[in-house]
Amino acid sequence: MGGIEWAMWANEQALASGLILVTGGIVAVAGQFKNWQFAAYSIAAGVFICLLEYPRGKRKKGSTMERCGQKCFTTVVKAFGPLTRNYYVRAFLHICLAVPAAFLLATILGTVCLAIASGIYLLVSRVLLR
Amino acid sequence: MIFLNDENKLRSYLFFLQIVWLAINIFLFWWYYLVYDLGREYIYTRELLGPFLALARAPAACLNFNCMLILLPVCRNLLSFLRGSSACCSVRVRRQLDRNLTFHKLVAWAIALHTTIHTIAHLFNVERLVDARTEEQRTLKTALSDLGDIPGDSYLNFARSKDPSPKGCLYVAFTTLAGLTGVIITLCLILIITSSTKTIRRSYFEVFWFTHHLFIFFFAGLVIHGVGKIVRKQTPDSLSVHDPDTCAKNYTLWGEIPSCPKPQFSGNPPMTWKWVVGPMILYVFERLVRFWRSQQKVVITKVVTHPFQTYELQMKKKGFKMEVGQYIFVQCPAVSMLEWHPFTLTSAPEEDYFSIHIRVVGDWTERLFQVCGCDKQEFQDAWKLPKIAVDGPFGTASEDVFSYETVVLVGAGIGVTPFASVLKSVWYKYCNDALNLKLKKIYFYWLCRDTHAFEWFADLLQSVETQLQEKNNPDFLSYNIYLTGWDEFQAAHFMVHHDEEKDVITGLKQKTLYGRPNWENEFKTIASQHPSSRVGVFLCGPEALADTLNKMCISNSEADPRGIHFIFNKENF
Repeated sequence: MGGIEWAMWANEQALASGLILVTGGIVAVAGQFKNWQFAAYSIAAGVFICLLEYPRGKRKKGSTMERCGQKCFTTVVKAFGPLTRNYYVRAFLHICLAVPAAFLLATILGTVCLAIASGIYLLVSRVLLR
Repeated sequence: MIFLNDENKLRSYLFFLQIVWLAINIFLFWWYYLVYDLGREYIYTRELLGPFLALARAPAACLNFNCMLILLPVCRNLLSFLRGSSACCSVRVRRQLDRNLTFHKLVAWAIALHTTIHTIAHLFNVERLVDARTEEQRTLKTALSDLGDIPGDSYLNFARSKDPSPKGCLYVAFTTLAGLTGVIITLCLILIITSSTKTIRRSYFEVFWFTHHLFIFFFAGLVIHGVGKIVRKQTPDSLSVHDPDTCAKNYTLWGEIPSCPKPQFSGNPPMTWKWVVGPMILYVFERLVRFWRSQQKVVITKVVTHPFQTYELQMKKKGFKMEVGQYIFVQCPAVSMLEWHPFTLTSAPEEDYFSIHIRVVGDWTERLFQVCGCDKQEFQDAWKLPKIAVDGPFGTASEDVFSYETVVLVGAGIGVTPFASVLKSVWYKYCNDALNLKLKKIYFYWLCRDTHAFEWFADLLQSVETQLQEKNNPDFLSYNIYLTGWDEFQAAHFMVHHDEEKDVITGLKQKTLYGRPNWENEFKTIASQHPSSRVGVFLCGPEALADTLNKMCISNSEADPRGIHFIFNKENF
């Protein structure tokens, strides 16, 4: 278990969560559900998360399998330095982003998925700190 | 006249099956959409939900179908059994059972798609139901939603609490059985999908395998998802006394006028279990069979280390029967309790043991290398060797090789491994009964970047060649090694500086060529030497090469049935 780079899975999970937030948000906005403003937030948050998580990080062991076209995203993400490099920060960021989406049924699935991704990132960062 | 060889027949058969699967999906979607969108018993339900009733039920039907199918392709022991017992079935049916994982993934994507449509439709449904329940004005919708408030009445709107959206929606989702199970199983599905991407599967197998077992919760939740019976329709008795077309506008007078008594509703019983119970039972059997097989004693009789981080395990297991070109799954508890890895069998069925050749490429193979004592110089006692479990053998046999007089075998990279089994078996058959062996000529093409990883195979080729020479039949096997990583310039440079090296490459100097084979020339040469025969072409390698060889087979086969025919067979590894 020690050789597993959990951050790789956290990345996939976070990317999926971003997509789910966007989808749920679009449904609630298009259907003009009550408090659809939370859904509008959810779309914005989802897009941001997708952009942040699209570049696959460098692995400690083995070659990095880049997602196609990720080079331009990588340059932007790297520009934020420790804010994006540190998994502790990411975990905290994701959990904060997830909370407002919990107020609507349409986006709550996104919240839970993002919370799980945040949890995995937290697991990774604590392992590093040890 | 187009000569359809076996490989093309197989491909069109598979394509046909996928079209059938797609057609069933489309049919189910369309059929159930119409049932819920046109049925009279759903008129009042549609009043509340609009088109989203049908839009939720149609993918639900497709989900039933696909969830039934998803477990079947991974029952490899069952599939093996079907393949083995179907002596009547043609080779193509047997081969297509090996494309199981591709189908499993296709069905999984369909499940993801239908889940998305189903969930989105239900989001609209819940919002509409809660709005109808909390509406201030008295409308048909509110009249329908009020049904069930008085004890003894049946309900239509399953949002019984009067909380407004969004709190009301969240309440409905998390307090109804359907809502709660829906959220849980969708979450399971998402986790399964994110841990099944290629990166995770290849590099962190345990994450994939462990998370995939969430499917147990998925199926459990799926089966009880409909128990609450919240998809409501007007009962047949009620329909006979209360006609929705005429009574709808008199919603304020329901129960007060004899022509429009209060409409009564009932829920549809859960259907999903009927679809999935069969495959679930089959899968339980599959796991039991795998467990039982894995408990059967496997003894490692010999461990051989080969150059360049390769090692061979020779094993024995009671009742083990194999055919050429098959593969097994191997587990070593001392290395990992969870992981089973597939390896092609490199021994011939005629031998009294079975063997696999393993190259150290990752954690598991490295650990197994150590556990088998390959890193030690001194002789290892047999009792120190680890316990091994074996599942299999699986895969299509390449025994078709023996039904031709002339064969062309092409192995690319690691694809050369099954041919070890083939060549050895040919050798045994030749020694036992040369006259009755139909196979008279083998053309072997080995394409690789360099032969280092497969020194043992190069040894095998040389040894078979030497032995055939001793038996005065040097022409039985013609082989050429193509080093695709080289070009002529590099090769010349290498030769000038390393002439004194006595390695396998030097030994096979006259057989080693650089670059890729010119298939057109090769096929034409073979065609000229075997004018009127059926030549079997066998490949174990990448898709691109399969397409090339397939084209070569077609273009070099003569239309005349008495002329030469190349029949292409691609092995599935």
